[in-house]
Amino acid sequence: MKSSSPLARIMSVPGMPMTFVLIITVVVFQMLNPVFLDASTLGNYITNGIPIILITLGVAIVIMGGGIDLSVGTVAGLSAGMTMFAFVNGAPLAVGIAVGCGTGLVFGLVNGFLVAYLRINDFIVTLATLNIAAGLLVVLTQVQPLQGVDVPGFPELTKSDVFGIPTSLLIAGAVFLIAQIILAKTVLGRRLYAVGISSQAANVAGVSVPHVRLMSFAASGLLAGLAGVLLASRLGAVQAFLGIGYEFIAIAGAVIGGITLAGGSGNAWAALVGGFFLVTLQQGLRLNNVDPVYFSIVTALAIVFGVVFERQVRRVILRTALQRTSALSDQRATTAAASARSAAAKSSEGNDDEK
Amino acid sequence: MMKSRTLDIATVSRNAWERLVVDPTLGVISLLVIFSLIAAFAFPVFYAGNNIYNLVGSSITVMILAIGMTIVLISGGIDLSVGAVMALCAGTAASVVKLGAPLWVAFLCALLVGVIAGLMNGFLVTRVGLPDFIGTLAMLGLASGVLYIATQGVPIIGYMTSEYYVIGGLEPLVGPVTLPMVVALVLALSAGWLLSRTRLGTHFFAVGSNAVAARQSGVSVRWVKTQAYVISGVCAAIAGVILAGRNNNVPADLGTGYEIQAISAAIIGGASLMGGRGRVLGAVLGSLTLALAINIINLAGVPSSFQKIVIGAILLLAVIANYLSELARNAALRRRAKRDSQASSLERTKKEI
Repeated sequence: MKSSSPLARIMSVPGMPMTFVLIITVVVFQMLNPVFLDASTLGNYITNGIPIILITLGVAIVIMGGGIDLSVGTVAGLSAGMTMFAFVNGAPLAVGIAVGCGTGLVFGLVNGFLVAYLRINDFIVTLATLNIAAGLLVVLTQVQPLQGVDVPGFPELTKSDVFGIPTSLLIAGAVFLIAQIILAKTVLGRRLYAVGISSQAANVAGVSVPHVRLMSFAASGLLAGLAGVLLASRLGAVQAFLGIGYEFIAIAGAVIGGITLAGGSGNAWAALVGGFFLVTLQQGLRLNNVDPVYFSIVTALAIVFGVVFERQVRRVILRTALQRTSALSDQRATTAAASARSAAAKSSEGNDDEK
Repeated sequence: MMKSRTLDIATVSRNAWERLVVDPTLGVISLLVIFSLIAAFAFPVFYAGNNIYNLVGSSITVMILAIGMTIVLISGGIDLSVGAVMALCAGTAASVVKLGAPLWVAFLCALLVGVIAGLMNGFLVTRVGLPDFIGTLAMLGLASGVLYIATQGVPIIGYMTSEYYVIGGLEPLVGPVTLPMVVALVLALSAGWLLSRTRLGTHFFAVGSNAVAARQSGVSVRWVKTQAYVISGVCAAIAGVILAGRNNNVPADLGTGYEIQAISAAIIGGASLMGGRGRVLGAVLGSLTLALAINIINLAGVPSSFQKIVIGAILLLAVIANYLSELARNAALRRRAKRDSQASSLERTKKEI
């Protein structure tokens, strides 16, 4: 990579190509409808998008470790429900938040245990827990209506701002920063990439693969729980079908951001960009009076576009790098050949012509 | 191919218990029997009136989807779009009937939509190179989005002709037998024949067990996988036509949740997500098991909101049972290898003597 140009080096970082696409999308929407970047709309759309983006980060972490987590959406919904359930029954702020995050964490640990230690296919395990979480939320809403609570400080999680920056954005920013530091700078993070690239090689290298897998699912569950708490705070009431279909957006966001499903590559930024791209798309379409039913089609097309785009960018980078190196080696070969020829000519100066 | 993969231990093992534990189809049969016994003892209503008859009727849609899903799973893929495609086909059939076209035209249109969806899945997975579940997840979004836009969220009604009551299974065909039952039987038999007796069937197993080896043996992996998705699309279309009749209306979210039921039925029936393993009989019995479990919880008076939890739990139980069965299979193989080596060493010593 050292021989490649600065642009190619930037573009080969996961998430960077999509960053440019995101900027272009924002500019286009802003030109179509100048309300798009108004302070109030912007704050609103960012606050709305943050739970989805946190879920996207969770899925992205699991994907980096070579797995998949389909349960994140409904687990976030259930966590929101559990938080409200705690508040309805008189829990203080901290307890409610802990209950929400804890619900997510428990689901993450169960997923992780089944996948990592019993080695059951992650797709099936999380499909099953998706349904279990969705079902539990339905049951929970039938036990008690999950609304009408007045816990001081809870709505402020999403409805206040600090120096003009929405509080939830600060929370999300801190989470993404921590996640990126863990991924890039800690042993656990590096092991996650190792497991994602090749679990066998990681195992041979002395990494406890099940432990790393378990931790990735636990992180995903915890993030889904946090997303659920923020969802509950923003909505103020939890309905039975909250969170269904979020996994679709989250996985799409991770893939669009440039996290390859094969595992072993990606970063927190890619998840952030991919998630924000879909949220922006949704908001932009809404502002331009496009029927929301088109969104699932747009998401579907965005997945295909994202994967193909990412791969195309990578292919171009690889090709230019190859051309560069081959040009370099050609050059070297020709200079070597020329010097050899001149040396040969020098040595044969005294002899007779060979040709 | 199939026999050598699924029956390797079952055929060589003389121990009946070992055979029961390692053969997935026998496992699901025993699950079915245990569930029925529980139902019979706990709820006398189970065998009363039309309960079992209704139970079989209600399992048909999932059964047809699960047959297609099994073929996709065998070829090493997964089709998440079956529910959405089924709903789209149901919507197509219903709207074409509503336009006044004859029934066969409506069914051809629905079938066409199913085939196109299957081809698109195959294209996304084998040509664009998306992972199976991402490609079909995109197809899910696409198909459900199209149906939402076409219906604007209002259920399609007013297409139920008298023939359609027979097609949906609301009116029996001959005696107690309904048309969907006949369709499901024919589909199951032809899928079983396809898998065990034709070249394409062998190719499905080959591609699912080891795509690289299959390609090196001259099998067109891309085309075989595309065909698996087309078969799944056709099954979704047939299920959609039937469900439109059974349901009396086609809401935009008709297919939601059917993909998990179809996958669950196929997995319970012994199909493996790693590809190369699965049985049509297993899919049929798996869908019956699911319907039976839902029936039992209904009889027990558990609110229907628990249905999702139960389906999820059964799916988890099924994969854990598969895991245990895999352990048992490996243990049996090891025992057998040990016995063989002992026997051969015994023979060697005999010869030496």
